[in-house]
Amino acid sequence: MTELLQYIANGIVSGGIYAIVAVGFITIYNVSKVINMAQGEFLMLGGMLTVTFISMKIPYAGAFILSVLIVTGIGILIQKGIISNAKNANPVSLIILTIGLSILIRGLASFFWGKDPFALEPLTSNNPVSIGGVNVAQQSIWVIVSVLLILLALWYLMDKTMLGKKISACSVNPLAAKLMGISPSKMTMLSFAISAATGAVAGIVIAPLSVTAYDVGVLLGVKGFAAAILGGLGNPLGATAAGFLLGLLESMGAGYVSSGLKDAIAFLILIAVLLIKPTGLFGERSVGKGGL
Amino acid sequence: MKKDKKFPKGILVYLLIVTLFPLIVSDSYYQSVGVIIGLHAIVTIGLCLVMGLAGQISLGQAAFWGLGAYTSAVLSTNYGVPPVLGLIAAALVPGLFAYLLARAIAGLQGYYLAMATLAFGYIVQIGIKEWESVTGGSNGLIGIPTIGFFGESEVGMYYLVWGFVTLVLLFSLNILNSRVGRAYRAIHKSEIAATSMGIDVRQFKLSAFVVSGMFAGISGGLYAHYIGILDPQPFGMHESIVFITMVVIGGMTSIWGALVGTVIIEFISEGLVIASHAIPGLKGDIDTIVFGAILVLIVMFMPEGLVPRIRTAYLKYQVKKSEYPEKKKERETVA
Repeated sequence: MTELLQYIANGIVSGGIYAIVAVGFITIYNVSKVINMAQGEFLMLGGMLTVTFISMKIPYAGAFILSVLIVTGIGILIQKGIISNAKNANPVSLIILTIGLSILIRGLASFFWGKDPFALEPLTSNNPVSIGGVNVAQQSIWVIVSVLLILLALWYLMDKTMLGKKISACSVNPLAAKLMGISPSKMTMLSFAISAATGAVAGIVIAPLSVTAYDVGVLLGVKGFAAAILGGLGNPLGATAAGFLLGLLESMGAGYVSSGLKDAIAFLILIAVLLIKPTGLFGERSVGKGGL
Repeated sequence: MKKDKKFPKGILVYLLIVTLFPLIVSDSYYQSVGVIIGLHAIVTIGLCLVMGLAGQISLGQAAFWGLGAYTSAVLSTNYGVPPVLGLIAAALVPGLFAYLLARAIAGLQGYYLAMATLAFGYIVQIGIKEWESVTGGSNGLIGIPTIGFFGESEVGMYYLVWGFVTLVLLFSLNILNSRVGRAYRAIHKSEIAATSMGIDVRQFKLSAFVVSGMFAGISGGLYAHYIGILDPQPFGMHESIVFITMVVIGGMTSIWGALVGTVIIEFISEGLVIASHAIPGLKGDIDTIVFGAILVLIVMFMPEGLVPRIRTAYLKYQVKKSEYPEKKKERETVA
């Protein structure tokens, strides 16, 4: 029983991160119909930049904020400089473009930081806390807290504010939004900024759980994409649920089957779901055409 | 259909270069580079059929390559099957996997398809790593027998591999200029329009996948017997992306483009290896920086790729010279 609870706890932690990455994918997708395969690199950059700033004797909080700001800037740059110039590209070209971006960023990271992994201090002490016989690292609690905060903030932003309404207007019908005085290109930029920022935060809070290196973004990005697809593209709630589900499946797979096979199990289930429901578990939210 | 006169000329130039290469370049290292280019070209020509012709994307092409490599290697190393039979199995097993995968995901499009092939790539690589009793896992498989083709020399292997490249190339060019090729191009332009013209889109996508899987498998089998040792490392997402880079730089819609792209990327890789020895400051994955930049720049500024771009420029030049616009129309029918 404790074993099961332990797996569930681990699953929720990694699932939360997948959920954030997946929601990041969808934030961009809903506005611009672009799947940004470089999403995982935002997490890597967040973690690596924080490590660098801390080694420069900048206090933790400062390093945290600075890293998030820089990654957000990079996200905006990517959208302004590259994605917006490929307006007429089809999904295949966009996938190729963003994959190119992702390996470009990863290559540059390996060039500047080298290939050795770095360790980031946890926010609070290293001692795990025991909740009902389940040992949880304190950092894991921070991860869950930040995941919930980010998801809540995004929900509030998208559902309760004027800005969120503008963003969804652009996603439903960019032309009509334009006629109402909303700039779809600005909203696309904003969506890139939001998902870069949330990605960076996620990258920073999970970094202390293991190590951070130039290539941690690959698998996190792929898992996030898998969660976005599993939940049904364009559906943030579905993506969140799918993210947690993926995390739980993985940790169960690692615990009861084999830790080497955990990724394969997650991906097999993904393909199986797509077989039965080609638009994901919770169905693709019918969104408009979108535009850049 | 009227055949273009330029077509055989291109083949002739190709044959000349391919035949003469090992005779001119006697350094065995560069001959082995020639072998590797050939092996990669077989995969990229297949990938070109999927991406350029059927307009699909496969982010897991290296998985088919790995399946072929391990099929032939395991059969010949563990069970003593002659490499020739192993090669046939190396084409059939990935073909079967491609068939099952394509059957499963035939209804998927765009991003869903990308995810499914990506997931497939991961599953295969993890499977190879974990099935240790058969594949040797991360430790790898050693002592894979070589194929005796004109002795076991580098040059013999070179001609064997490029023989396969030529077959694959001719097969694909033939497809391109047949009813099937036109059907593929119709699918690429618009699936709905193609369906209404009586083209079974599902069937065509399926066969493109199967053929590309078989090509990758054959190449993998040859690779296994050529290298002699295998480990799961080269059959992951990175290699799949390199294959895509090769196809994209040459031009997705052109079979020749796949070949040219493979040669270009291979040259860049070799150049970078030399550069990293010469310049000590170059650390990290310089090749990923270059490939990433290539992908981004190509999609931004030259989405059609190198070979179609050059061909258009050449045609424009021709038209300007002759001032007969009709001619342009005639030549454009040849892909």
